[in-house]
Formats: sequence, structure tokens, C-alpha cells
Amino acid sequence: MSTALLILVTIASVISVMAAIIWILKLRRQLSENTRNAAQLAPTLRQLETERDIAIAARDKTNEILASVIDGIVALDFNKNVILLNKAAQELTGYSETEIQGRPIDRMIRLFSEQEEILPKTYCQGSFNKPVKVVGKEGKQTKVNLMTTQAEGSVQTNLGCILILHDLSKEEELEQMKLDFVSMASHELKTPLTSIIGYLSVFLDEAGNKLPKENLDLLDKAFVSAKQLQTLIQNLLNVNKIEREQMSVSLEPVDYTAILYKAIEDLKSQANQKNIVLTLTLPSQPLPKVLADSVRLSEVVTNLLANAINYTNPDGKVEITTLVSPTEVTTSITDTGVGIPKEAIPHLFNKFFRVSNQLQKASKGTGLGLYIAKSIIEKLHGKIWVESEVGKGSRFSFTLPVVNQTNNILDSDKFIRSSIQTGALNY
Amino acid sequence: MTYLIYNKLMDPTTKKILLVEDEDFIRELYARQLTKAGFLVKSVADGQAGLDALKNEQFNLLLLDIMLPGMNGLQLLREFKTQNPNSPMITILLTNLGQEAVIKEGFELGAQAYLIKASYTPDQVVQEVKNALMGGQPVPPPSPTQ
Repeated sequence: MSTALLILVTIASVISVMAAIIWILKLRRQLSENTRNAAQLAPTLRQLETERDIAIAARDKTNEILASVIDGIVALDFNKNVILLNKAAQELTGYSETEIQGRPIDRMIRLFSEQEEILPKTYCQGSFNKPVKVVGKEGKQTKVNLMTTQAEGSVQTNLGCILILHDLSKEEELEQMKLDFVSMASHELKTPLTSIIGYLSVFLDEAGNKLPKENLDLLDKAFVSAKQLQTLIQNLLNVNKIEREQMSVSLEPVDYTAILYKAIEDLKSQANQKNIVLTLTLPSQPLPKVLADSVRLSEVVTNLLANAINYTNPDGKVEITTLVSPTEVTTSITDTGVGIPKEAIPHLFNKFFRVSNQLQKASKGTGLGLYIAKSIIEKLHGKIWVESEVGKGSRFSFTLPVVNQTNNILDSDKFIRSSIQTGALNY
Repeated sequence: MTYLIYNKLMDPTTKKILLVEDEDFIRELYARQLTKAGFLVKSVADGQAGLDALKNEQFNLLLLDIMLPGMNGLQLLREFKTQNPNSPMITILLTNLGQEAVIKEGFELGAQAYLIKASYTPDQVVQEVKNALMGGQPVPPPSPTQ
């Protein structure tokens, strides 16, 4: 029994030793396999590490580039949530990236063109390029030029639209300095010029008839040139006022018939010199009073009339007609002049625009008159437009609102012209 | 300070005008033309001198430039009106700018009229002064320059 037990124990021991040896051998094989595998994996790992480093470097580089761009860049996903806001955009809006990331842009940054708010569905549609006002964190406002592009994003990138915000405040400051300079220079030029014209007019008056015709002619030319310079400075000041948004009009009921007669009277001699027939055709009923600024309005009428005479060849015709409706008076100034080429018409009321046309080379002008006329008519709540055919003539028309009889708001205005004995606001 | 005395000095109907204008040439020219037209003209170049002149004597009409060094025309007018609320003197504002706001303020301070130097020949200025003093019809304002 004990022998059998001993054998059994021995066999068991042998078996377990064998098993252990087998296991150890197995382990060793496993180990060497692992080592082999590990040795095989090492290059892959190294490659992955390198690739990760490259990716990080690339990301840093992109961030660095985005951060050093002067313009603000904002990236939106398909749902118009902010995914990226570069450094310049953070400065413009006042938000840090963490404050805004993942949130809907229209709740964080609001954009206005004039007074109207522009929404992401508008500016993210197609390409947008306009100056706007950005209202960011805590109402922080900046004037920028907004450009947008739709990203060609896939579902994975989830990139919808990119906004580029170009800060305009520096440019506005420079623009303001320019306007200030023009205004200051024009006023400074105007003062001595007023003296020159004043002294010349008195001298011509007192001594004109005693001078030989030849000398008088010299003085006349000096006087005419001084007056031209005065008009030019006046126009520059007018444009300057328009650009500074300081062109003011005082609206009141105006006797329009008197203004029209006055304009005809003033330009009669100019028309006579070219043998141009100047006519004013009024309706049989008296014209109703219009709501306007009499001085500004005469400026417009005189300007359009002078243009018509300027651009009409000798022996032509210039006619003023009016059309009255219950709400407005439409005035048309029609000439039989050289006309305006079709391609020039859309630009005609732009600042400094002049029609370059063989026939019109002889006429001088600054290209400011129609721009000023349009600005004034718009201030007076009217519209101005032109119809023209080259070789046949042009017709400039504008509307003015008729004074509403029931509206007596103006009566309460202390600044009523009837109290003014003399004077005209002339710019 | 110029005081142009003509032998009309003793004539009780001769109207006295105070001209306050800082531009020398304009002041001389207006004073010359007004004097030639038979007015008795005193002219000064700044607001303080104008106020002093108004304290010392009475004038029928004040021709007052608004843009003046130191005390401007409106300040002068305000000061004068505070001291002499019932003065019958007529005030015409002279301006180069045509600023409605300034003119409006001048009117509230009692100015009766205004004219813009650049748009008026000196003789038209004289005519305006005559109209204001004689209560005549105002001449139509000159048309805007072309």
C-alpha cells in the first residue's frame, strides 16, 4: 500500500515536474515570441510617435498662423455654432475662445449693416462683403468689413462658414482726419477769397466805367475766376458736409413758384449768351407749397438749370415743367443738349463722376453738382432721376413732398423763416 | 479801433452802426461802404472790444460776426441782452459758415437777421442794413453760386 502510494506520489511528482517544465518551456516560447513581436512593433510605434509630433506641430503652426492674422477669423459649423475664433477675432469681439466655442454665433456676436441686423443665414449664404458693425461681449462695438465664405466641409469636418472681420476703426479715423483737413482748408481758403471778391466788386462798381475797355476786361476775368473758385470751394464744403453727415436742411412750407422764377431770372443771361430759349411752364392752378429748405432747393434747381444750359449747344432749348399730384410735385428740366451716354447714367449722381464725351470736353465742372443735388433731394424726402438720349437731350426730374395742410407741427417751430428779414443760408 | 466821423455826426437822423468783425480786410471794406452810404460806423475786431463799445454808447444797429477770437459773437450778444433786455438795437449776424444751429441760437438771443459774407457783395450788405433800419422790404437773397 505504502509502495503503491510512494509510486503514485513519485509519478505525480514526475508528472507535475514535467508539467512545470512544459509550462516553463511554453512560457519561454511565449516570452521569446513577445520579445520578437515587441521588436517588430517598435518601428510602428516610433512612426506613430513621429506622426503625432508632426500633427501637433502642424496644428500649432495653423494656430500660430491664425493668431498672427490681423483680421478676425471665425469658423462656424453647419448649425452656425462657433468652432474657432482666432486671436484678432477675440480682440474684436471681447470673447475668449472657451467662452464662445460651441455656442450659436447669433447669440454671441451680432452684426448690423446701418441699423439693420444681419443674421447668419444671410451672411453665410454665398459670399458676403460689406462694412458692418460688430457688437460683441458686453455690447463692445467695432466697425469692420465682413467677408464670408462657405466652407466646402464634409460631415466629418462639420465646417459651415468662415467669417473674416477686417477692423475699419483705423481707416475711419484716417478718413475723419481727411475730412477735417478738407473742411479746415476750404474754410481758410474761403476767407481771403471773400475779401478778393468783395474788393473787386466794389472796385468794378466804382471805377469800372472810368477804365479803358481793355483794362476792364482784365478785371472782369479776374472777377469771374474768383467767383468760379468760390463755387468750387463751396462745392467741396458741401460734399464735406454730406460726408460728415452734417448736411442739414430745415424743412418748412416753401413757395416753390418763387424759387423757380428766381432760378430762371438768375440764369437768363447765361442762356441768352448761347441763344438758348429758357422757359418755365407752370400748371394753370397755382403750385401748392412744398415741404423743403428754400435755400437748398434753389441750389438744386439752379444747379440742374445751369447744367442744362452748359450741355446744350447754342440755339437749343431748356424747359422747366412741373407735374402736381396730391402728395408731391415733380419738376422736370428738359434740354435739347448733347445727352448722356447710356453707360454713364448709373454713375451720373456719383461723387466726382464726369461724363467723358467728345462733345462735352469743352464744359468744365468738378463732378460734384449732381452728387450734391441728389444728397439734398434725398434729405428733402424726394427722388431724383434722369432720362437721356445721346444727341437728343436729357431730362432731369425730381420730386418734392407737398405740404400737408393738416400738419401744423411746423407752426410750433420757432425757427420759421418769416421772422427772418434778410439773409440766405448759402453754402 | 476806427471811428469814422463824417460831418453827419451832428445830424440826429444819422444812424449809428457797430461793426464787429475780425477779418481786417472785410471789416475795412464793410466800414467803408457803410460810411459811404451815410451811416456813422464804429468798427472793432473782437468780442470784448464790441461789448465795451456797446457799454459806452448806443447804436441803432449791430453788425456782428459770429466767429471771433476770444469771446464769440453769440457770447457778446448774450452778455449784451442780459444787461440790456429792452434795447431797441437791431442785430444782424454775419457768418461765413451758414450754420443753422448757430443762427438759430443767435435768433433766440434776439438777432433779427443774418447774412452770409461769402454770398453778399458789400453793397448788398449795405442794402440789407438799410432795409433793416428803414423797415423796408428785404431784397431777395442772392442765388446760390453755381
